[in-house]
Amino acid sequence: MQAETNLMSDAAMAEDIVIETQDVNVFYGDNHALRGVSLDIPKHQVMALIGPSGCGKSTYLRCLNRMNDTVEGCRVVGKILLDGIDIYGPQVDEVLLRARVGMVFQKPNPFPKSIYDNVAYGPRIHGLAANKDELDEIVLTSLEKAGLLKEVQDRLHSSGTGLSGGQQQRLCIARALAVRPEIILMDEPCSALDPIATAKVEELIDELKENYTIIIVTHSMQQAARVSQRTAFFHLGEIVETGPTEQIFTSPSDERTQGYITGRFG
Amino acid sequence: MSSGHIVKSFDEELARVQNAIVEMGGIAEIQLEAAVRSLAERNTELALKTIEGDKAVDALEHRIDDMAIKMLALRSPVADDLRIVISGLKIASLLERVADYAANISKRVIALNSAPAIAPISSIPRMGELVRRMIADTLTAYSNADATLAYDVWARDQEVDQLYNSMFRELLTFMMEDPRSITSCTHLIFMAKNIERIGDHMTNIAEIIIYQVTGDMPKEPRPKGDKTSVTMIDPKEG
Repeated sequence: MQAETNLMSDAAMAEDIVIETQDVNVFYGDNHALRGVSLDIPKHQVMALIGPSGCGKSTYLRCLNRMNDTVEGCRVVGKILLDGIDIYGPQVDEVLLRARVGMVFQKPNPFPKSIYDNVAYGPRIHGLAANKDELDEIVLTSLEKAGLLKEVQDRLHSSGTGLSGGQQQRLCIARALAVRPEIILMDEPCSALDPIATAKVEELIDELKENYTIIIVTHSMQQAARVSQRTAFFHLGEIVETGPTEQIFTSPSDERTQGYITGRFG
Repeated sequence: MSSGHIVKSFDEELARVQNAIVEMGGIAEIQLEAAVRSLAERNTELALKTIEGDKAVDALEHRIDDMAIKMLALRSPVADDLRIVISGLKIASLLERVADYAANISKRVIALNSAPAIAPISSIPRMGELVRRMIADTLTAYSNADATLAYDVWARDQEVDQLYNSMFRELLTFMMEDPRSITSCTHLIFMAKNIERIGDHMTNIAEIIIYQVTGDMPKEPRPKGDKTSVTMIDPKEG
């Protein structure tokens, strides 16, 4: 009984932080893009990354599922631990990593396939469904979780590119969810959407955080304030300040954070 | 405040709110000074003028409310900007109450002046001056974003409370000695209470200034010295 209690408390403590970043530096050739970034990402919360263009926030985001590996001349130094395991370690399969750490991009990018096939694509590649029924189940559940099912259930076999911008973005979210990720990275997911479609995606983010950890890069201060529980402010490749979103937006402790979020940055 | 906003009109709007607060506080200070002077001089004309002056303070409060609401809706202020706007709304509302108290003192002066001067006006002018200085220093702390001076005002309220306690006892004793003075003394107690409340409001405003400047409210418990609500005077002792 005692052992079990200890085990539980250890597990509970380990559960708190899902991604641990320790002194991460990123170089694009000679360009030192990220400088000694250390950041803990708590589980089942939304973490917003804010900062002016070129501050390193997207670079950081792309380290978390090794998207930077695809950039020529890019070198990542430091440790990024996902559930305690270094994702840059030799044993890590980056394709599997990208299933666990899904990504949604600025511009909705559905495949030129049917709505159904867009969502079924990942599960097929990863062999997540044993038969057609299981695949149907995954597709429908993912669309449901992405808040899109009602709008598309009678046209699952029409093209994904025929949907509106907001629907396409939620389709991309459904596609990410279909491979059962733990973490979803979002790089400016609403910047191409109108206010109503943005509100729907933000509402979705709020619901998804019950089961997923979400890290979102946004240029909209209001969006960061609305959707996230924690905010990290990046500037010139460094993290200037991180803390509860409420604190960052009412009394940030660093002058640079204050200057940026209040629109005084010159 | 650090350097200006990229959007300069935002700076202008923030400055307008802050200037209106200082203007409002300045009028409230003059109102209190005039109300207390009208008592000391038995000057009904000045008392009437002070009552009339309350309208300007009410108008300023509305103006500040409108400006703050507009900024909240259109600018979505955050961090120190948000604190300036929210503090502006709260301070304006407190200053409006301060001016109301000054007007109430003036009304009581008119009532007192309709009868012979039998009650001692006692320490009211001293208390009035103490609180007037609190208003002046609060406004300086606000204008200069000076949290240290705000702390100083915040701690000073206890002196006012002590003065009020002793006045309360003094007036009760006076009433026991001469029942003809009860009406006048009761008005005087209310006047003293009004001034004591103005002191409390300055403490509130000082706290808001500390929050606006530092992002935190004072950690210590607020100094409290008004013991009149538990004061009893035995007529045999009186």
